[in-house]
Amino acid sequence: METEATRSILPMLAFALPIVAAMLTVPARRLSERARDVLLIGTATAVAAAALVLAAGVAGGTVYEMYILQLTPKIWMYMRVDAAGALFGATVAVLWLLALVYSLGYMRGEHRLGRYYSFFILCLAWTMGLAYAGNLLTFLIFYELFSVLTYPLVVHEETPEAMAAGTKYIIYILVGGTLVLLAIVLTFFSAGTQTLASGGILSADTDPMTLQAIFWCFLIGFGVKAAIVPLHGWVPDAHPAAPAPFSAVLSGVMVAAGSFGIIRMIFQVFGVSLLKSLDLAPYLTGFAAFTVLFAAALAVNQENLKRRLAYSTISQMGYVTLAISLLGMQSTIGALVHITNHAFMKGGLFLCAGLFIRRLGAYNVHQLDGAARRMPVTAACFTIASLAMIGTPPLSGFTSKWYLGLGMLETGNPWLLAVLLGGALMAAIYLLPIVYRMYFREPALTPEDLTLTEGREAPMTMLAPLVVATIITIGLGIGASLPGLPVALARMAAQAFFQ
Amino acid sequence: MTSWSPLLALFLVIPLVGAVLTPVVSDSSGRRSWGWAVFIMSVTSAMSVSLIVRVLEEGPFSYVIGGWVAPYGIELRFDEFSASVAIVCLLGLLAIVFSRHYAPQALTPERIPYYYTLLLLNLTGMLGFIVTGDLFNLYVFTEILSLSAYALVAISGEKTAEMAAFKYLVMGAVSSLSILFGVGLLYALTGSLNMADVTSRLAGTAHAPLVMAFAALTLGFMVKAALFPLHIWLPDAHAIAPSPVSAVLSGLVVKIGILGMLRVYQMAYGSGAIDLSGLNLTLTWLGAISIVMGAFFAVFQDDIKMMLAYSTISNIGYIVMGLGLASSYSLIGASVHVFNHALIKATLFLGAGALIHQTGQRTLTGLAGIGRSMPFTTAAISIGAISIVGIPPTAGFLCKWYIALGALEAGEPIFAVALVFGALLIFIYYIRMVNAFYFRKPQDAGAPAVHEAPLTMLVPVLILAALCLIMGILGRLPLSFIEPAVTRLLTPLGGG
Amino acid sequence: MEVVDARVAIAPAISLLCAALVFAAADHTFWRRFFSLSAALAKLIIVMSMLPGALKGVVYTFDLVEFTPGVGLAFRADALGMFFAVVSSTLWLFTSIYAIGYMEREPNRRRFFGFFALCVSTTVGVAFAENLLTLFLFYETLTICTYPLVVHDETPEAMRAGRTYLAYTLTGGAFVLLGSIWTYQLAGTMTLSQPGILTMEAGRTTLTALFVCLIAGFGVKAAIMPLHGWLPTAMVAPTPVSALLHAVAVVKVGAFGVLRTIYNVFGVDLLQELGVCDWLAALAGITIIAASVIAIFQDNFKRRLAFSTISQLSYIVLGAALLSPLAATAAIVHIANQAFAKITMFFVAGSIQRTTGKTAIHEFAGIGYRMPYTMGAFTVAALSFIGIPLFAGFVTKWYLSLGALESDQWIYALVMLGSSLLNAAYWLPIIYTAFFKSPREDALVHEAHWTMLGPTLLCAAYVLLLGMTVSVPGMPFALAQAAVKFVFGM
Repeated sequence: METEATRSILPMLAFALPIVAAMLTVPARRLSERARDVLLIGTATAVAAAALVLAAGVAGGTVYEMYILQLTPKIWMYMRVDAAGALFGATVAVLWLLALVYSLGYMRGEHRLGRYYSFFILCLAWTMGLAYAGNLLTFLIFYELFSVLTYPLVVHEETPEAMAAGTKYIIYILVGGTLVLLAIVLTFFSAGTQTLASGGILSADTDPMTLQAIFWCFLIGFGVKAAIVPLHGWVPDAHPAAPAPFSAVLSGVMVAAGSFGIIRMIFQVFGVSLLKSLDLAPYLTGFAAFTVLFAAALAVNQENLKRRLAYSTISQMGYVTLAISLLGMQSTIGALVHITNHAFMKGGLFLCAGLFIRRLGAYNVHQLDGAARRMPVTAACFTIASLAMIGTPPLSGFTSKWYLGLGMLETGNPWLLAVLLGGALMAAIYLLPIVYRMYFREPALTPEDLTLTEGREAPMTMLAPLVVATIITIGLGIGASLPGLPVALARMAAQAFFQ
Repeated sequence: MTSWSPLLALFLVIPLVGAVLTPVVSDSSGRRSWGWAVFIMSVTSAMSVSLIVRVLEEGPFSYVIGGWVAPYGIELRFDEFSASVAIVCLLGLLAIVFSRHYAPQALTPERIPYYYTLLLLNLTGMLGFIVTGDLFNLYVFTEILSLSAYALVAISGEKTAEMAAFKYLVMGAVSSLSILFGVGLLYALTGSLNMADVTSRLAGTAHAPLVMAFAALTLGFMVKAALFPLHIWLPDAHAIAPSPVSAVLSGLVVKIGILGMLRVYQMAYGSGAIDLSGLNLTLTWLGAISIVMGAFFAVFQDDIKMMLAYSTISNIGYIVMGLGLASSYSLIGASVHVFNHALIKATLFLGAGALIHQTGQRTLTGLAGIGRSMPFTTAAISIGAISIVGIPPTAGFLCKWYIALGALEAGEPIFAVALVFGALLIFIYYIRMVNAFYFRKPQDAGAPAVHEAPLTMLVPVLILAALCLIMGILGRLPLSFIEPAVTRLLTPLGGG
Repeated sequence: MEVVDARVAIAPAISLLCAALVFAAADHTFWRRFFSLSAALAKLIIVMSMLPGALKGVVYTFDLVEFTPGVGLAFRADALGMFFAVVSSTLWLFTSIYAIGYMEREPNRRRFFGFFALCVSTTVGVAFAENLLTLFLFYETLTICTYPLVVHDETPEAMRAGRTYLAYTLTGGAFVLLGSIWTYQLAGTMTLSQPGILTMEAGRTTLTALFVCLIAGFGVKAAIMPLHGWLPTAMVAPTPVSALLHAVAVVKVGAFGVLRTIYNVFGVDLLQELGVCDWLAALAGITIIAASVIAIFQDNFKRRLAFSTISQLSYIVLGAALLSPLAATAAIVHIANQAFAKITMFFVAGSIQRTTGKTAIHEFAGIGYRMPYTMGAFTVAALSFIGIPLFAGFVTKWYLSLGALESDQWIYALVMLGSSLLNAAYWLPIIYTAFFKSPREDALVHEAHWTMLGPTLLCAAYVLLLGMTVSVPGMPFALAQAAVKFVFGM
């Protein structure tokens, strides 16, 4: 399906605008707080609009591309928007916009906002670049920038725990990035080209040892970010430490970026047929299945809400990896769709968690007793997102799991359904008790303990993004089969991968 | 240009007569004797230039005093090696110019005329030594310059100076005797004193006395050259003498030993009658040891002139090593260094003299921080220091280059290594010196302000420092004299 | 195509003239500044004016004087030399401006600026040296000229450091001299040419010994372990000197000498046959890792920079020793990449020291908010060293890794990657301390004087430019490629 690509400046704007905005954040604040807010929201909106336009265009069968910069005589910085990229890009841009609006309320009065907002909007740039990267080197550029420049956001609170989490984060991520680099160097050396093409760029007559090396380097490198189990160590620490809006994008997008990398690697570097002949995918399946169950099991015992959600992320991303590793058409659709769906579900959950912290001072699960009475909307959103996470139809989580299940049957692995269901069951075990507490337990704190502003629903800047995320979660479930929505794009992508 | 041969004789006669007449023309302040000495040296220098031009145009030539043909008469011979008279004249002139303000301070007024007499005599001895064609006159001129040198060391009249001069005298006398003995033996063997003639007659003479003759000559010249372990007279003599004298002694007089050895070599190689490889090996090793020992002793000196004196021993080590290696490159290197070391060491000694004259201090401790008040002198000394260590593009580098190349050529890379790293040792104490000048605080801040030396001192020092640089960059200039000479020297061996 | 052009001789001569004028200007601050800056500018213009020609493949030559018969003081600007000259003359301008700000109240400014100019003169001399002798001449002169800069403070530590510096570099110089003489003896010429001047006829043992000799000589300044001891000690020098020492002149001259030895004395083919480069590569690999590990434990900022320099220089050596075109590209390009990034860091170190008096990293808490631009520049340089894409350091890492694979020595690709992790391990904590630790005192924005801040920011910007505009014609990379093509006869 190598259609003639259309030149478009939009892929570049999608990451250039946030960079400019990041530079202007601090000067704009000198002008007024409002000017800064307008700048940030305007930029994020513009990026989201661009991403949606691109997604719509790609859904209509166009492929966009843009040569930006010649890096070395042979290698360009090259953006190319295909179906998978368009889907991921749209997800990123929309979730980011929500998280940004939420931040305006959530972060009010926090320290060092200049740094926070600059880097927040800057990370949008890197992630958009990542989504639209047209070759491995461009991918690497954004991947590394994204990884490293996220650090200030992880440690934003500057508490000892945050600093420790940040150190852990940066060590994991840098080691991962290094392996990715090694893999890319090996790929470039073996294949001579890097443009991500469907069907793979490595040829079958490459030295098998090299192929093995490339595979494992990529896998471990991206696996760190995608939080495949032995490599997941940074996730449970980083999420509780970061501010809630950033936890939302950390879980929804950042971890997914690792999975997205694995997708690119498997389908566009190796290609399905080569990988099948190498017989490496089963290892990945094994790791992924273990990740799903192991992380879910750990999540059950977490007292800290954000920590519990972080383990949930590990488990859910395990689904994505599992789906990819099956190398089936349906499961791939499931994987791509689940990235999007999970972004909004988990984003929503983290936004709720942030509100609980801000309005109730509740960091731990047991502090949420009776929260629904004081914050009914938030509690409702939390409930919907939880149900989606478990995979209740007709919410979005169900859609992706449906395709995943289909894929397992299609590729002849019915026993994996047990993993699928086991994960869902455990999601129920770690999420539903929270819902139960919110609605059916008496609040532990008496009203006298609370000052006037606390214990009520949050202002609209924070509530609105949460509600929108919830609506998207519902909408993606109900309208799954509508044209132009994730499933359609994912199908296009999968068709390209399996042509 | 004139082809008038007697010029060669006049070349020796003028300074000799000038020396004798100095006390006559002198006045009480010694100012007139200075002017006279400068005049005499200028004339001599001008003549040396004309002689060199001639040798360049016509090749070697000789003049026979009294019209007697060699081997019977006294032959004066001017070849490419003899071009070294230029350096003698130059240094002599500069040393005399330098003495204008220096001598009155270092000496009592009545000794000043005799100082210039001795200096001129010394220079005459050297010029004669270089241009003489027969062995006996070689000895005679050696004696002239040695005796005047003893006197010059002692001229200040201080106790230490007398002791140093006495030590010098004892060693010098022994070496002169040894030289005389060698000359006598050669005469007995060949019946001739003319060097060219002796060379041609050597083949077929008895071996043992021949070896003995050469050994005696070499030993004698080794003492004059202050080669380790026969160097003990040098540090005291050179350090205690007035600075211009030190410059002449270190720069020129010790080289007489070297030139003497070269002459001996010329004969030995020319005749092919004697196998020199054993001697060569000895010389090479002694040279190497001299380099190291000289440097080693110098490191522990605080007296600046003492340090320079030990440095001379090291440098003589270079030259002797070059001779011992006996390959064409190393001989070129050794010969070049005879010139260049003269320039460099004169720079250093005259510079040190200027410092001592202005400050009255002669230790590194006392001279701390002097770089600020005497920037030009210290800069000149620094250039000299860099040069003597052999940093390109200064004059000292050429010798290192050629001798090391020669060591490789001779298949003895170990000496190339010794040479190159020996230079590092030398650097250690020059660094101390430069540090003291520039990077240490003056000892007591209350001392009266020191000014730059007067022009008669500064100008010679600066000229010499400039030459240290120029001779490095224009290294081919001396080489154009030396290369043909060395080639001729080695031709009988089939080398070169 | 070779063209006789005096510009190759004028370029080093300008700084020489500048030094003379600075000394002559005595205590006139204005004239000293005027001479320093205008000479730096003039030199940059002259070097740059040769750039278009050099890119087209023109080689400018100029025989200054025949030093000794057969061996002259001659200049020749080929692509490799031009590359080095462009880098050093650009940085001279920056450093001069910075030094004017930094040395504002120091004593002995005349000596400082005079010798500073001399150092640059000799550096360009090394870059344009036509033969080993000229190379050695400037190499050795550089040693001497740097000494007054190292001991500038005249404290006992400075004097000690100066001694160490001389002990190391002069010994290195002796090795170089020995090697040069030996080369001349073996090859009968010293002209650095393509593809090397030695042949296998000289015998394997001799060639190996000669190689060791030359590399040991140049390796001292290039700070290959275990010859690196002088570099951290020399940190007592004023910061612009450290910058010059560590980023441009001294260390790069060593690395450049290694490149010349490998490409123009021995030649790639001969070395491949000889096999000695495997050892050199191993040594460089060890240096890269070991120096980085040591750097992690340094609390003094400048010492950490020093060990980083040691590690980074071996990138160049490693790139050259791998004997593959891609690695060679990395080696040459890294001369510029490391120079600009490292000089940025030194400028930062100097600015911090001048503005706040702090030298130890643990004292930097919160300094990022007092000096945001300065620390921003530092961050750019640090990210470059870590090898984040789009920064200059990445280009090196990329090509060096590819080169390692090309020459079938994948272990060095791993070394590169390990090194970038180690780089992260010692740079990121500084950024962390500067930006994420609370300042101990009031966080008033208090940047350094513009003469110091300006060059810092410009260099940092250049680091980005080097990383992003690799293929823009006229940027150093094109020159590096031209050099590699020439060296490998492609």
